[in-house]
Amino acid sequence: MTAQRFKPGDRVRVRPEEKPGHVRTPGYVRGKEGRVESVLGEFRNPESLAYGDPGLPERPLYKVSFRQEDLWEGYPGPAYDTLYVDIYEHWLEPAREETP
Amino acid sequence: MTGVHDLGGSPGGPIDKSQHEVEDWERLADAVTIVLDKKGLKTTDEHRRAQESLPPEQYEALSYYERWVAATELLLVEKGILTREEIDARAEELAESWGEG
Amino acid sequence: MSDDDHERHDGVGPGAEAGHYARRIRAMEELLIERGVLTKEDVRRQIEYMEARTPANGARLVARAWVDPEFKARLLSDTKAAAMELGIDASGPVEFVVVENTPEVHNLIVCTLCSCYPRAILGRPPDWYKSFNYRSRAVKEPRAVMCEFGFEPPDNVEVVVHDSTADMRYMVLPMRPPGTESLGEEELAELVTRDSLIGVTVPREPARSS
Repeated sequence: MTAQRFKPGDRVRVRPEEKPGHVRTPGYVRGKEGRVESVLGEFRNPESLAYGDPGLPERPLYKVSFRQEDLWEGYPGPAYDTLYVDIYEHWLEPAREETP
Repeated sequence: MTGVHDLGGSPGGPIDKSQHEVEDWERLADAVTIVLDKKGLKTTDEHRRAQESLPPEQYEALSYYERWVAATELLLVEKGILTREEIDARAEELAESWGEG
Repeated sequence: MSDDDHERHDGVGPGAEAGHYARRIRAMEELLIERGVLTKEDVRRQIEYMEARTPANGARLVARAWVDPEFKARLLSDTKAAAMELGIDASGPVEFVVVENTPEVHNLIVCTLCSCYPRAILGRPPDWYKSFNYRSRAVKEPRAVMCEFGFEPPDNVEVVVHDSTADMRYMVLPMRPPGTESLGEEELAELVTRDSLIGVTVPREPARSS
């Protein structure tokens, strides 16, 4: 079992990458910052399972929360509305230092 | 790179709440796809990837189960389980026996 | 995705070429049976499996959770096991997560990438759930989407959208409507609509007795 890089409460950023092939990280969260809500467990990698590969080793999957107002310019709802996405560890990096 | 299937946040119109009667061929498409999964001949991930690999115009034009059929066919051919020619031939025979063009 | 002004079936209902695809899947089925890859019985059993699964399963789980706090805890922590207690077989490779509505939080479920849905409990999703418009807008303007279903959560309620991008399938545990204290489990289950399990709306209220 791989060590998990993040834990609940950690602020993370979704890597702002374009990656060819089958990817389960939606475009609208790439480059965005959120917070790890929970660790969902470890699962085989869909990106290689999609091509008939066993998808090993399993890797941690995180439930990451985002503030809607961070995702959408002019979000038409209250500031505390949130969105949760299940994201694989290799798509996450520590958030940049919080600006004062 | 994100594809046409990556729809979150795209412009969209009012939600059409009508429900079409599920047709027998759609039940069949659902069942055959899942049976192939259960027999370990393909995975959900491959099925998604196959749908995503459809040309964007096709992805947008086909209905939900039409995409399933296209994806399942793609995978069966890719894995050498069936050939496109024999599917074509059998589909042609069915068309003739049903009196379709 | 472009806004289009030509008629589009929004990715769901039968397109113009349904006959073509109907023939192809039947052709594939016949060939697969002839090759011994699968049997007619396999297909029949799978069709039966899907037909047996309906939103009524979800309604029963919710109604039981409303009357039995310990069942509710089990439903939230191990959904498959809790479902099995009620005779609902949701076994399989996917994991289920039930998210609870509270006076502070209202949940909405979507799968923007492909329409994943807790099929093993609820059966097939409604057409609108699979539509491009829902997949596009549920994450970006959930309150406007709910409004189209006739539901407006108050401003002080946090709306939480879950985009099921991985192996988890989500179902909402709605709040029990007020004025239902005297209702039995079966009557409670009748209030729980499929749409309230997805989160675009809330359960029905009991009819007032005259």
